[in-house]
Amino acid sequence: MTTPSPLIHVVDDDESLRTALLRLLDAAGFNARGYASVGDFLLQAPPDGPGCVLLDVRMPGPSGLDLQAALRRQSNALPVVFLTGYADVAASVQAMKAGAVDFLTKPVEREALFDALQRALARDAAQRMARAQAEQLRAAFATLTPREQAVFDRVVAGQLNKQIADALGIAERTVKMQRAQMMTKLGVSSVAELGRLAERLQYLPD
Amino acid sequence: MMYRAKRRSIVRLWVACWLLFAQAVSAEENLCVLVLYSNHRLLPANLEFEAGLRETLAKSTELNAEFLDYPRFDSESYLDAMTAFLHEKYALRPPSVLVVGGKGALEFVLRHRDELFPRVPVIHGAVPQSFLQSRPPLPADVVGVPIKFDFPGTIELALRWHPRARRLLVVTGVSAQDRAWEAELRSDVSRFQDRVTTEFLAGLPTDALLQRLRALGGDTVVFTPGYFEDGVGHLFSPREAVGLMAAAAAAPVYGPFDTFIGTGIVGGSMPNFAAMGRQVGHLVNDWLAGGAPAAQRLPEIAPTAVNLDWRQIQRWDIDPSAIPDDAIVRFKPPTLLEQYATETGVAIVVFLVQAGLIAGLLFERRRRRRMELAVHQQRCELAHASRLAVAGELTGAIAHEINQPLGAILSNADAADLLLASGADRRDELRAILADIRQDDLRASEVIRRLRALLAKQPVDWHPFDLNEAIRELEPVLRAEARRRRVALDLRLTATAPLLLGDRIQIQQVLINLALNAMDAANGLPEARRAVAVSVEHDADRLILVVRDRGPGIAPEHLPQLFDSFFSTKSQGMGLGLSITRTLVEAHGGRVWAESGSGMGAVFRVEWPAADGAGTPEPV
Repeated sequence: MTTPSPLIHVVDDDESLRTALLRLLDAAGFNARGYASVGDFLLQAPPDGPGCVLLDVRMPGPSGLDLQAALRRQSNALPVVFLTGYADVAASVQAMKAGAVDFLTKPVEREALFDALQRALARDAAQRMARAQAEQLRAAFATLTPREQAVFDRVVAGQLNKQIADALGIAERTVKMQRAQMMTKLGVSSVAELGRLAERLQYLPD
Repeated sequence: MMYRAKRRSIVRLWVACWLLFAQAVSAEENLCVLVLYSNHRLLPANLEFEAGLRETLAKSTELNAEFLDYPRFDSESYLDAMTAFLHEKYALRPPSVLVVGGKGALEFVLRHRDELFPRVPVIHGAVPQSFLQSRPPLPADVVGVPIKFDFPGTIELALRWHPRARRLLVVTGVSAQDRAWEAELRSDVSRFQDRVTTEFLAGLPTDALLQRLRALGGDTVVFTPGYFEDGVGHLFSPREAVGLMAAAAAAPVYGPFDTFIGTGIVGGSMPNFAAMGRQVGHLVNDWLAGGAPAAQRLPEIAPTAVNLDWRQIQRWDIDPSAIPDDAIVRFKPPTLLEQYATETGVAIVVFLVQAGLIAGLLFERRRRRRMELAVHQQRCELAHASRLAVAGELTGAIAHEINQPLGAILSNADAADLLLASGADRRDELRAILADIRQDDLRASEVIRRLRALLAKQPVDWHPFDLNEAIRELEPVLRAEARRRRVALDLRLTATAPLLLGDRIQIQQVLINLALNAMDAANGLPEARRAVAVSVEHDADRLILVVRDRGPGIAPEHLPQLFDSFFSTKSQGMGLGLSITRTLVEAHGGRVWAESGSGMGAVFRVEWPAADGAGTPEPV
């Protein structure tokens, strides 16, 4: 793929620790970038690129948990790995429930850190791929004519060609032809496939 | 002469009648006793004799005394006149008993008895036994206590108390009595011939005598009965003469009369004139009660005893063990108890009561000190416990403070490891990494040092310290805690160093307690009100620490109990923080109070006297 290499965003107010983390990630071959606060991250991070966020919990101003909540509201949410000085139970539960990849405590073993970051990047990649496929599907769906879309709805709902013809007030042969065209446009060859596609379309994010 | 005799016989008749009558009413009338002394009235022997006599006679007995003033006056005409005088004087108050003191008086009475008081019984005292033995027996109604001046006994005593003495000096005078004593002594000293050489100084002029006595050496003892008249006709009482001799002599002086005690003589074997007076008194009483005393009640001789002057015993360094147990010791300073028995008793009681009181007070004081110590100990324990509790509350902040540098160190080390493994020459980067590791390590150990100072159980360390400095030391932990609780912490210290006398750690604890309290108040409030402000103000003589929050404030009804133990408005509060805070503040001579406006937050103010100001508090 020609997509840019993933970038790890390190958000921690402790400069010394941030520097050390960036050094380590750099030495390990990651692309990483540091931010002293949540605000810095929001202002300076590239709007849409692959990567993940390595996030401190307690910081002056908005906390790591605040940032996590804000990211979740975006369509292209970056996965979050928390790294905290003191793992209190409440904060860790909240973070994990909100979908954090991991909740690490300082000082952190490099294997644990790398492992968590790999998983975060993998999740990001998977999400990106899913988003790309959905995009493709939506584009294909957009090429259907209104009549083809109506046929699609009824086929997915399980109606027979005759029922569809009666309901739309057209000949059964016309229904057959439009159904074949619709399946070609969507790239499916069976009704079962069409059903799975419909399911995915329904659950895709807007 | 005829006339006088006639008159006398009339008087006698009258007296006889009166006596008959008087005897009949004697139970009602005062009995009269006349004492006639040989010598003059101030002779100490006479005074003592009379004291003993007076002591023995009944109070109602009338006692009169007359003095012949021998040997100064002893002419025949004088004695005749004296006889007439006494006769006339006592014509209307004739004595029931006539007491005579001394040989001269006895002789006088025996010669003139018929002209004086015929048939009046006579009792004699202080008459030498030798004189009585040298004359015909006395009439039956003349009885008494003979006296024996114990010259040899006294000399014996002197030689025993001065075993090194080689010379005995005997001093006598020239009056008849003096001559008689001299003769007696010359025969007495013969028995001491083999022990000492004896020298008589008889009839010297007093001046010459004293000269001689002053020049005496240490091997001499002096014996003298005193004298009435010296070699140039000056008259003395024996006591006066002895006093002069004893004052001058460079050797110990002994004498046979107890009246000499106190003049400076060491002592002697002496008749006791007071005891003699008492014996005579008993005889008088017997006679007054019913006739002549029975022969067996007549003492054979007046008692003698060793009399001594304790001051002289000490002056001449006489061995106290040589003093007989029954000796009469004079001038020995009485012990306090003997002298002031009552006062001493009272003093002892007062002393004991006082001692008891003091002991009680001391005991009480010790008990109080112990209790104060215990209280102090308890407060230290409590303070420590509360510090540990605070530490528990601050665990998050503390862990954060320490893990931050530890995390940086580990990551830096890992980075270095990877850089080295990559084989690339990135020496500069490695150097920077090592410098950072070092710095973070120091940072972590600094946090630990501060915490240990704060949490360790250590003795109270009382000295002036800078309040700003103490607060600055706490700042990282407080800031970490504030961050953890998402509370804005504002610290305002003074420009000049405010000095406070006391224990820095305890004051830091005051700040921690108040700051955590304020942060608690911020719980659950909107962002804008989650703020705690700590400020220090420095007055001329006061230090003020103010901790302010913007929480709900303190309900007016809670204000009075705020600093009480176990009072808490928090669901999980022990109610000890503010109580301990107040204890610590007051231990530093300060006070702490709270102010609160409704909904405006609470303000805690602590005020201490500045260490450079007056009235520095003592450690407790």
